[in-house]
Amino acid sequence: MRQAQLDAFQVIADPSRRHMMHLLSKDSMTINALAENFNMSRPAVSKHIKIMYKAGFISIQDIGRERHCVLKQEGFNEVQNWINYFDKFWETKLKKLENLLNEKTKK
Amino acid sequence: MTKSIKQTFFYSHKPEAVWEYLTKPELIAQWLMANDFKPVVGHDFKFTARPMPAFNFDGIIYCKVLELVPNKKLVYSWKGGPKPGTITLDSTVEWTLVPKDNGTELLLEHHGFATDDAMLQIFTVMDAGWKQNIAKVAELLKNR
Repeated sequence: MRQAQLDAFQVIADPSRRHMMHLLSKDSMTINALAENFNMSRPAVSKHIKIMYKAGFISIQDIGRERHCVLKQEGFNEVQNWINYFDKFWETKLKKLENLLNEKTKK
Repeated sequence: MTKSIKQTFFYSHKPEAVWEYLTKPELIAQWLMANDFKPVVGHDFKFTARPMPAFNFDGIIYCKVLELVPNKKLVYSWKGGPKPGTITLDSTVEWTLVPKDNGTELLLEHHGFATDDAMLQIFTVMDAGWKQNIAKVAELLKNR
């Protein structure tokens, strides 16, 4: 069965994945080194890595026989897009409120 | 990078007038969105907007009144997602009204996008961090 693509917020909603990204924010790590920090099976770690990879939060580089996880900007941009969207959204709404209040005063 | 939203607006109307527009459902609907708000702490309500599939958002914002001080402060949760029962955006909207120069300074804070402190920290180091990491990988690749 194909695994559903998770959106940026679903990706960062998981504490283990947040912890992984936190570790990766300090340095890139091999999948093995990353797994050592977690009390979970290797397949479980791989599953989280796959989710972060698919959503653009990390990239995976094969170096020799090792696979290195590197934090990537793309996934974070999606979160940023939401924030930018709402920033604009509120600005528009608050201006609309101003017009309404002013109209009311004129009447 | 912006991690939360803060906006300050000045309205040349008394806080009581602005407050009405923040807490009366029919008045809120005039400038914000259709809603079933009630000025009662703990009240669950919804805003109904246009669905935005590109954002994985079905157009319904699920809220709960968390704090309410008449004419001064209003806080509600602001949650949404791709379909009912699936919440992916879990944030908080906070309104503060301050009387000023015969009018009202309205402060809006919309935060919680980065879910917790650990995530905020990641956001903070992202800009510097990822470049550094990429440089490191490049170095590793070179020495292969």
